[in-house]
Amino acid sequence: MTRFQKSLSGGGLLLVILAVYSLLNGAHHLSVNTVVSTLFYAGDQDFIVNHYRLPRLFIAILVGMGLAISGVLTQAIIRNPLASPDLMGISGGAGLAACTVLLTQPDINPAWLPVIALLGGFTAAFLIYWLNSRHQPSPARLALLGIAISAFLSSCINFLLVLYPIEVNSAMIWLTGSLWGRNWDYIWPLLPWLLTLVPFSYYLAWRLDLFALGDETASALGVDTKRLQIMALLSAVALASVSVAVCGTIGFVGLLAPHLARLLVGSQHKLMLPVAALIGALLVLSADTLARNLAPPLELPAGVLTAILGAPYFVFLLHRYKGW
Amino acid sequence: MRFSVIYKLLFLFSFSLFSSQSFALKIDHDAGSIEFDSTPQRVVVLAFSFVDALAIAGVSPVGIADDGDKNRVIKRVRDNIEDWQSVGSRYQPSLEAIAALKPDLIIADSGRHHSIYQDLTRIAPTLMLKSRGVTYQENLLIIEKIALAVDKQSRVEKRLIEHKKRMLDFKNKLSNKGSFQFAVTSEKGMWLHSPYSYAGSVIEELALTSPLPSSNKQVYLQSSFEQLLSLNPDWLFVGQYSDHSVLDKWQKSPLWKMLTISKSQQVVSVSANVWSLASGLLAAEQIAEQLTQAVKK
Repeated sequence: MTRFQKSLSGGGLLLVILAVYSLLNGAHHLSVNTVVSTLFYAGDQDFIVNHYRLPRLFIAILVGMGLAISGVLTQAIIRNPLASPDLMGISGGAGLAACTVLLTQPDINPAWLPVIALLGGFTAAFLIYWLNSRHQPSPARLALLGIAISAFLSSCINFLLVLYPIEVNSAMIWLTGSLWGRNWDYIWPLLPWLLTLVPFSYYLAWRLDLFALGDETASALGVDTKRLQIMALLSAVALASVSVAVCGTIGFVGLLAPHLARLLVGSQHKLMLPVAALIGALLVLSADTLARNLAPPLELPAGVLTAILGAPYFVFLLHRYKGW
Repeated sequence: MRFSVIYKLLFLFSFSLFSSQSFALKIDHDAGSIEFDSTPQRVVVLAFSFVDALAIAGVSPVGIADDGDKNRVIKRVRDNIEDWQSVGSRYQPSLEAIAALKPDLIIADSGRHHSIYQDLTRIAPTLMLKSRGVTYQENLLIIEKIALAVDKQSRVEKRLIEHKKRMLDFKNKLSNKGSFQFAVTSEKGMWLHSPYSYAGSVIEELALTSPLPSSNKQVYLQSSFEQLLSLNPDWLFVGQYSDHSVLDKWQKSPLWKMLTISKSQQVVSVSANVWSLASGLLAAEQIAEQLTQAVKK
C-alpha cells in the first residue's frame, strides 16, 4: 500500500469509528441496537438519532471537508503556509453577513444563508486583495493583515450583538462556531455547493502542482496562471463561506488540515486534496462530538475546541518559518 | 355492503367531531398556537420564570434548562417542586437531553429559542412565551396562560389574588422613600435594570420611583461609574454574578463619597438569582420583601 492509500483507509476507518461513537453518545447514551433499529424504523428515539445526531454528523463532515479544501486552495494560490480562510478574514466576512441578516430578519429561510454568506466572504476577500494589490506582500504581512481584518469583522459582530441583545444566543454561534440547533434544513442548501466545488477543486489539482513551480514555469508548461488563480480563489472563498453560513466560524480547520495532509502524503495536490478533506471532516466531527460529550447536557462551542488545537499550531508555524 | 361502509365512516366522522369539541383546548403563543387533547404530564421548561409559574400551579417540571446549576432555581421555587433533570444551558439547551425526557409539553423562551422552535416542536408541543426581558405585568398574563395549559386555573387564580394582596401590603409600607435602582455587577461591568426589566417593573409596581430618565426605553443599560454618579439613586440594590466586581474598584474612588448611597449606606447586596434570573411571581414577592426590610432598617 502506498502512503496515500494508507492515510485514506486509516482516516476513513477513524471517521467511521468516530461517526458511530457520535451516534451512540451524548446527553443520553443509546445502545447499538437502538440506534440501528431507529435508523431503519424510527420509533422512540427518532428525534435524537434521525433529527439530531445524524444531521449534525453529516453537517460536521461536509463543513470539515469544505473548510479543509478551502484551506488547501488558498495556501496553494497565495503560496503561503499561513493562509487559510479564517485567518484571512474570509470566514469573518461570511459570518458577519450571515449574522447581520439573522439578527435583522430572524425568520429568514436557511436556504438563503449560503448566498448571503458568499456575498460577505467575497467582500472580505476583495478587501484583502485590494489592500494587498499595491505591493507583493510577504507571507507574514499577509497573515497580519488577515488577522487585523478578522479582528475588525468580529468586532463588527460584537457591535451587532450589543444592538440586538435579545437574539444574542443564535448569534453567539457566529462568534465561536457551533453546530448547535442545526438540522436537515441546513444540509440541503449546503449540499449543491459542495457537490460542485469539491470535484472542481480536484480538477484543478495538477494545475496547482505546476503553479507551485512559479508563475513563469507554470505558464511555460501550459497553465493559464491568472485564470487558475481566480478560479481557485473563487472556489476557496465559496467553500469557506457556505461552511460558515451553516455553523459559524469554526477556526483553524482550514489551516491545520492541509498541513497535516502534507505531512502524510506530500504536497502533490491529487493526493493531498482528498486526505486534507478527510482530515477536515475528522477535525470538525471530533470537535462537535467532544462539544456534546465533555459536560452533558451543557454544550460547548465546537469552534473553541478546534482553536485549542489550532492556535498552538499556528504559533508553531510562525516560529518555524524564520526570516519573515 | 358499500352503504354500510359509508355509514360506518359517517358515524366515525361525527364521533370524532364530537369528541374533538369536548376536549381540545387551544392556546395561542408567540410562535403560533397549540391544541391540547389532554393535560400535559411531563413538562420541560427552558427558562426560570416558567419554573416559578409551574411551582405555583403545583406542577413539577421533569426538565429545566438550569445552566447545569440547580441553585440557580431560587429556593422558594425549589421548595415547591420535585427534583428535575438538567437539560443544559438556557442559551443552548441540549435537544437530545430534552428528547430523552419524553416530554408532552415544552415551554421555551420566545426571546431566546426562536432558532430551535422547529426542532422543539418535533419533540413535543411547544409553547413559546416571553421570559428574557419580561416585565412583571406581562409575566402575570403568562402565568395564567401556563396555568391554562397544565389545567390548574383555579389554584393559580387563588394564588394570584393572594399575591396581589401581598404586593398591596408591601406597596403601602414602602410609599415615598426616594428613588430605587437595581443593578447586576461582574468583573466586566455594571448593568442597570430599567423599569422595562423584571426587577425594575416590580419596583415600579410598588410605586417606587426609578432614577432613570423616563425617555429611556432600554431594558438593561451598561453603566460606567460616571453614569452612576450622575444618576445618583437614593437606593442601590446590587446582585453580584462574581465574587469581585467593578463595584469594589469604584468604592475605593474618592468620588464614591459623592453618592447619596454612600453617605446613607443605602447599598444593599441581594441575590442576582432572585432579582434578575428568576423573573417570577415568587421572586417578585421576595424582591418586595427585601425592599421593605431594607427600608425599615
